[in-house]
Amino acid sequence: MSKNFFEIQNGYFTASETNKVNNVNFTIKKQGEIVSLLGPSGIGKTTILRTIAGLQKLSAGKIKLRDTILASDEINIEPENRNIALSFQDNSLFPNYKVIDNINFGEKRLNGNNSKIDVKEIIKLLRIEPILEKFPHQISAGEAQRVSLARSLMSKPDLLLLDEPFSNIDQSLKEEIQVSVKKLLKRINLTTIIVTHDSYEAFSMADKCGIILDQELKQFDVPYNVHHEPNSIDVANFLNKGIFIDVQVVDSECAVHRLRHEELGEIRGKLSNSFPSGSKVKLLLQPEDLIHDDQSKLKLEVVDRKFRGTNFIYTLKTKKGEHLPVFVHSHHIHQHEKSEQFGVKSPIYIDHLVCF
Amino acid sequence: MTKYNIWFFGSLIVAAVVAMPIITVFSSFFTETSSYIFILKETFLIDYIFNSITVLFFVVLLTLILGIFSAYFVSFYDFPLSKFFSWALILSFAVPGYIYAFSIIAFFENYGTAFSLLTFFLGENNYNPIIPKIDGLIGAILSISFSLFPYVYVLTRASFYYQSNNYIEVGKNLGLSSRETFFRIILPSARPAIIAGLALVSMECLSDFGTVSFFSVNTLTTGIYNSWLSFDDLNTANQISFILLIFILLLFSIEIYSRKEARYHQPGRGFKPITKIKLTGKKSIIPIFICSLIFLLSFIFPVSQMIYWTIKFPKYIQDIDIIKINLNTLILVGIASAFIVIISLFINYGSRISKSKILDYLTNFSISGYAIPGVILAVAFITFFSNLSDFLSHFFNFKSIKGLFIGSIFGLILAYFIRFFSLSFNGIRSSYEKINNSIDESAYLLGYSKFNTFFKIHVPYLSTNVILIVLLISLEVIKELPMTMILRPFNFETFATQAYIYASQDLLEAAALPSLFLIFWATILILLSSRYILSKKN
Repeated sequence: MSKNFFEIQNGYFTASETNKVNNVNFTIKKQGEIVSLLGPSGIGKTTILRTIAGLQKLSAGKIKLRDTILASDEINIEPENRNIALSFQDNSLFPNYKVIDNINFGEKRLNGNNSKIDVKEIIKLLRIEPILEKFPHQISAGEAQRVSLARSLMSKPDLLLLDEPFSNIDQSLKEEIQVSVKKLLKRINLTTIIVTHDSYEAFSMADKCGIILDQELKQFDVPYNVHHEPNSIDVANFLNKGIFIDVQVVDSECAVHRLRHEELGEIRGKLSNSFPSGSKVKLLLQPEDLIHDDQSKLKLEVVDRKFRGTNFIYTLKTKKGEHLPVFVHSHHIHQHEKSEQFGVKSPIYIDHLVCF
Repeated sequence: MTKYNIWFFGSLIVAAVVAMPIITVFSSFFTETSSYIFILKETFLIDYIFNSITVLFFVVLLTLILGIFSAYFVSFYDFPLSKFFSWALILSFAVPGYIYAFSIIAFFENYGTAFSLLTFFLGENNYNPIIPKIDGLIGAILSISFSLFPYVYVLTRASFYYQSNNYIEVGKNLGLSSRETFFRIILPSARPAIIAGLALVSMECLSDFGTVSFFSVNTLTTGIYNSWLSFDDLNTANQISFILLIFILLLFSIEIYSRKEARYHQPGRGFKPITKIKLTGKKSIIPIFICSLIFLLSFIFPVSQMIYWTIKFPKYIQDIDIIKINLNTLILVGIASAFIVIISLFINYGSRISKSKILDYLTNFSISGYAIPGVILAVAFITFFSNLSDFLSHFFNFKSIKGLFIGSIFGLILAYFIRFFSLSFNGIRSSYEKINNSIDESAYLLGYSKFNTFFKIHVPYLSTNVILIVLLISLEVIKELPMTMILRPFNFETFATQAYIYASQDLLEAAALPSLFLIFWATILILLSSRYILSKKN
């Protein structure tokens, strides 16, 4: 008998011919874990949530919650009997009820779990106090999203599904609410699946993160590994953190692996996949991998510079025409203009050598 | 795949009931008629068509002018009494064309109200030769136009209202003058609404029976009525109906298309209401004059004529059992609106939760009933149930079921249902469309059953719109003449039938009191509806 809290086995999720995700397998081992599903818009993330909630039929496979089969070829439990809450991306508040009444709708749920959750605390945490007596049409999209989240939390579900829960919330408030919500979810031990297209949100909120691309769940792992050790070129490209450059494996046997690039020279670190010495591979080079050093003899031409608040992103050009991104702290006094030479610390050391 | 459940069969039954008059009209070509149809084809049929088209053309022209001018002034200018006119100009909806017709005849006839006024102010003289005689085609055109122009007024005004100030500001920013802005930006974007209004006017105009028959203008509707009543030839009546239906269905399609177009012109986020131009002093004279003239002619004129007669001939107050007529009307209004609204809620809810395309086709077909003129519907209704009764008696030895449907309250309610179902269905649907599907889904996920979701979420949300629909159906039922005339139980009179019966007996003075009551109730319903719409907007 399975001991997992939640499980999807060979799940096929279909909303339309283009909007579908095939052969999904993942498990949430323990109650209270937070999982995020990350992928571009329109890929089928919401379809997965809706199917888990019972609002759409599972095309094939099996969904289980605590050993109870929610959906399979033979079984399909109605949404009202699943005790799963879904906070929708768009405004799904009941239009003829005030905000407070909308939240109380959640509390009236009969088959909720026994978690200790206080409506006042939720209202305070999600900053809803000033709008409690307003109707949904009188509040902003971000406020509506927070009310929807409060309502879902108040229904004390066994599983909480959040569809882009913070997408409409102001940037200034977003991070604070994300932290508070995560703390609350952990405290009340509420298992949650969050769908988002924002990698920062996915990584910061979740214990595990799934990447959905090309109608497949490409990777399901802890956020650190997803970021540092993407398991395919597609995932790395989607996370859009760097570029791939051609290198040759010089030594893959020692504790520190060595690669060689025509112009950058030796690159050291630990290979995430094993390759025989001498093989030619593509190495993922992320902006934080190269370190600026005005004294270095390794010089590259600056072709672009973007100011990003806390840092600059310089784009450097190799003779071969590769464009390499490099982070430089924005307090760094010596700013380099286009066409100037830019020093890069050599030899280059990268913790995770992600090669394909 | 479609589920054959209660929602499917409910929609199927409604679609079948609404299809009944159309099928009857079409099938009339396969049945025998008297020789009247041949006489008609050789003689009056062309006249009927010509008169129908002539009345239609001038009514469209006049309602277009009245509707656009009045909507333009109250939408873009703030002048003394402009707020009053914005709702007062709708009141002529309360005056059916046939009651307007009584007023025109009464005012301009020899020794009529105009004669009395001239005598009162200028002393005794023979004024009859100098008072113009408005009757026939002109009378019918004026009566129908004044009673129907609010269709154009209301839709055009709504379209002007929803014109975002942004467009006008962009126009000015691009160097257009006020006149150019109006003709190149405002009017083109209001065009779908104007066309929708004119299509409704045209449908109502072609369906009119009371006004044209009162003025003895032979149109297709009077032709249908005469074939049935004078020649007892239902099949000929149905064949003439076919010609009329083709015109009407064409207009119906234009109306639906224009409404869809008009929807694209609805404002989105960032909508800024129009800033009205304030007019005072001399500049306000023209809009005040035009709006006052339209209001006086369309509403005050027929109302004061009816009041004048009621006071002048008090004996009819005792002769007419006004309490009974009030009760009759109340019974019809109550039962019809409750029945139609409940079925509309049922069909709308079924369509929403079953998400079946076949169900959508069936319900879309069901809303075509509004396009069928009352006369056609009534004649087709009688034909259908007579044939059905004969069929059941002949093959199954059933007792006649004619009495159940013809000349009964039940039959009349069923006919109202066919005619006004679309009004109710569309009204509820437009409200339903504003409830996002994810709201239902949220309720399910919060543990609410479909039944509970309907009663706890949908019904409270729809209730205000349902009240408006009840008001509008009541208004239609109170004013409805031909169906009620033909299908009502013996001696069961409403304001409309009582007024028409007196008028057709040349007892116009007696028609004044029921007409006045009709206008009174209709005015109250219009005021309540418009108050409700305004409060909703706020």
